Amino acid sequence: MADWRVQRKARDARIERGRVHAEGKLVAASAVVDLLEAVLLPGDRVCLEGDNQKQADCLARGLSACDPVRVHDLHMVQSGIVLPEHLDIFEQGIARRLDYSYSGPQGARIARMLYGGQIALGAVHTYLELFARYFIDLTPNVALIAGVSADRDGNLYTGPNTEDTPTVVEATAFKNGVVIAQVNAIVDRVPRVDIPGDRVDFVVEADRPFYVEPLFTRDPAAVTETQILMAMMAIKGIYAEYGIRRLNHGIGFGTAAIELLLPTFAERLGLKGKIATHWALNPHPSLIPAIESGWVEQIHCFGSEVGMDRYIRERPDVFFTGSDGSLRSNRAFCQTAGLYACDLFIGSTLQIDLQGNSSTVTTNRVAGFGGAPNMGSDPHGRRHPSDPWMKAGEEAGGTGDPALRRGRKLVVQLVETFGDKLVPAFVERLDALELARKLDLELAPVMVYADDVTHIVTEEGIANLLLCRTLDEREQAIRGVAGYTDVGRGRDHAMVEALRARKIIRRPEDLGIDPLDADRSLLAARSIKDLVHWSGGLYEPPAKFRNW
Amino acid sequence: MAMSPVSLSADPLDQSWYEASARARLDALVDPGSFEEFLGPEQRVMSPHLPAFDLPRAFDDGIVVGRGSLGGSLVLLAAQEGRFMGGAFGEIHGAKLVGLLRAALQVRPAAVLILFDTGGVRLQEANAGETAIAEIMRAIADLRRAGVPVIGLIGGRAGCYGGGGLIAGTCSRLVVSEGGRISVSGPEVIETNKGAEEFDSRDRALVWRTMGGKHRRLIGGADAFADDTIRAFRDAAREQIGKAPAFDLATLEAEQARLEARLDLFGDARDATEIWSRLGVNDPAAVPGLDTDRFDALLARLPEAPHDAR
Repeated sequence: MADWRVQRKARDARIERGRVHAEGKLVAASAVVDLLEAVLLPGDRVCLEGDNQKQADCLARGLSACDPVRVHDLHMVQSGIVLPEHLDIFEQGIARRLDYSYSGPQGARIARMLYGGQIALGAVHTYLELFARYFIDLTPNVALIAGVSADRDGNLYTGPNTEDTPTVVEATAFKNGVVIAQVNAIVDRVPRVDIPGDRVDFVVEADRPFYVEPLFTRDPAAVTETQILMAMMAIKGIYAEYGIRRLNHGIGFGTAAIELLLPTFAERLGLKGKIATHWALNPHPSLIPAIESGWVEQIHCFGSEVGMDRYIRERPDVFFTGSDGSLRSNRAFCQTAGLYACDLFIGSTLQIDLQGNSSTVTTNRVAGFGGAPNMGSDPHGRRHPSDPWMKAGEEAGGTGDPALRRGRKLVVQLVETFGDKLVPAFVERLDALELARKLDLELAPVMVYADDVTHIVTEEGIANLLLCRTLDEREQAIRGVAGYTDVGRGRDHAMVEALRARKIIRRPEDLGIDPLDADRSLLAARSIKDLVHWSGGLYEPPAKFRNW
Repeated sequence: MAMSPVSLSADPLDQSWYEASARARLDALVDPGSFEEFLGPEQRVMSPHLPAFDLPRAFDDGIVVGRGSLGGSLVLLAAQEGRFMGGAFGEIHGAKLVGLLRAALQVRPAAVLILFDTGGVRLQEANAGETAIAEIMRAIADLRRAGVPVIGLIGGRAGCYGGGGLIAGTCSRLVVSEGGRISVSGPEVIETNKGAEEFDSRDRALVWRTMGGKHRRLIGGADAFADDTIRAFRDAAREQIGKAPAFDLATLEAEQARLEARLDLFGDARDATEIWSRLGVNDPAAVPGLDTDRFDALLARLPEAPHDAR
């Protein structure tokens, strides 16, 4: 007779071993190592919650302090490699295999460890892709998660940075896994229940509040006139032309400039209510002036942002909030929203090649993907029409019965021809290819594939790749906006002028934009302080962004 | 748009002082079209020292000097360009200001306005720079004794540090905005010499509440607090010209007494908020968040407020 409850029994045994170090579900911070050593088994698949922002740092330190004789060869399945401990455990032998999405701050070290063979890499995923695999072939045995507070039954309040938690818990708790949460405080009653207590097996009161990274704050004082020019072109040449109402923005200064031009430049163009009304977006402080001017109808968030909590509480018509008033974010849902319900993604990148493939890796850094490739891709599962989607589909050259024509999502790359330290953004060959060769990866880490990109905006103009009919046209369209980079100087001038005549390339003057008008006085806020004023004092910027 | 809490006007007078270049500040500050530059960039009077360090030079050596009218009265003006070497004093830079101040003794304008935006003396030409600081202070004293007010306007990115802070101390009146900072040693210098425990230069809120415009105004280190617009600086400058004190023994003795009292009162305070509390501010933690109107209202309520002398 087959035993259909092997996993369930194993789970019960883990919990029983863990209970020795707990009082009910509650575990003291000092007992974290004992708890983890009791619950974990060699070779376990473990999700150590490392989100884009919120970090289960107390549990990470605990895992890193475990005895590698007892806890070893773990297979880590987590979206973010952010804290040093996330990689320390590989050096210690506690962990061996890794499947992840994003490793921004640890990108250089992870590259060294991959070269050194200390990490057996499964794959670098997009967020949705990794979340999907949690439910198919990367289901965690143990999840180590983070929340703001919990009650004694394990009911969990994640706070505004809910992020990945519901997804991780769903996959673990309902498939015979063990869920261990760290919280900043044990309370009698949580402000709202983000995770029901019957999905949480242990609660650790952390020695200090979990770490949150302010990733989405762009100081308006650092926005340049070049970025303003590019933002003007994007608004007039793309947002207005296609009537983009549902969208997602990347986190660069170029998109921050767009946000800050909505109440000024875009308002003067009469675009209010016609563009940028519905968003999948983290609560960017630079969007405050547009919200306050009545541009924005609603925003769903992947996570929160440091300093925005009070502002969000006071704007429940715009944000998704719980019965307690605070933001409810959810990375998996927001990624899905950005993928299927937005008509445009616009973001920056480090390198674009002659076909339009783009990448943010360099040969010494493996930053991973995060969410941009989900937003920055054309969802073939989409079926609902919208004007921008249909117009883009038509431009892409659909033939035959229009009722059988697929629309296209607009995927826009907003890049200055020369990036940081005057490194050219346009290249013949992506560094990602060299990295893939050195690491023996089957796939080069491409952020947005050429066939998904529809427009490239630089200070020299807009290239509309949808209208290109041949690979040669496409290459010249890209060269035609690549400025004085080698790629740009390699253009065929006659062909570029022909593309301009067909509106495949458009210069600022073709759009009726005078580059001399690109002035910082156009920004609705020129400093963090201005953002605070716009918010009526509700936005509370972190100390590093203050100059008062 | 009318409800915007932040000015979105394109009028040059409504532009941010902090963001504007030295020339943009001068052009908008004086009566329209009245600014006339001396030793302009076309004359290319440049630093003789920077080429020895392979450093780029500026045609105006980072300072613009000239004349203009302010509300119809003749004024001489100097504006430092904080974006060229942090507005630092080199030999030419200093000499242009010294020359302007000495000329003022002959011309007798209604006032001399110095638009500070400086980190102090340029290290590459420190001897010349230090000498210039001394000459400038001497020239200001001579001018003030002759009855010409010297007004300092401080609200640029580089603040007013080092020798600039010393010069500011000799002016008849100082106008400062919230973004403006006045001190001698900068935050990084203090941290380097005394450690991050003494002064954490990365704690920007600490930097501003120790050296920023509101604190300087509250303790009498500046005489007027202006919004960060060229218009606000223009209005404040005109008002302060009229309020400049006589430069005589009585003023100097009053100034000495004022500074001694300040040291007695606040010398042992560990943080600016403690000083504000002793000044009678009920909610010191709220001070950095106050806008100009509410800050002015607070100043008006304080028992110890306006601090004259100079």
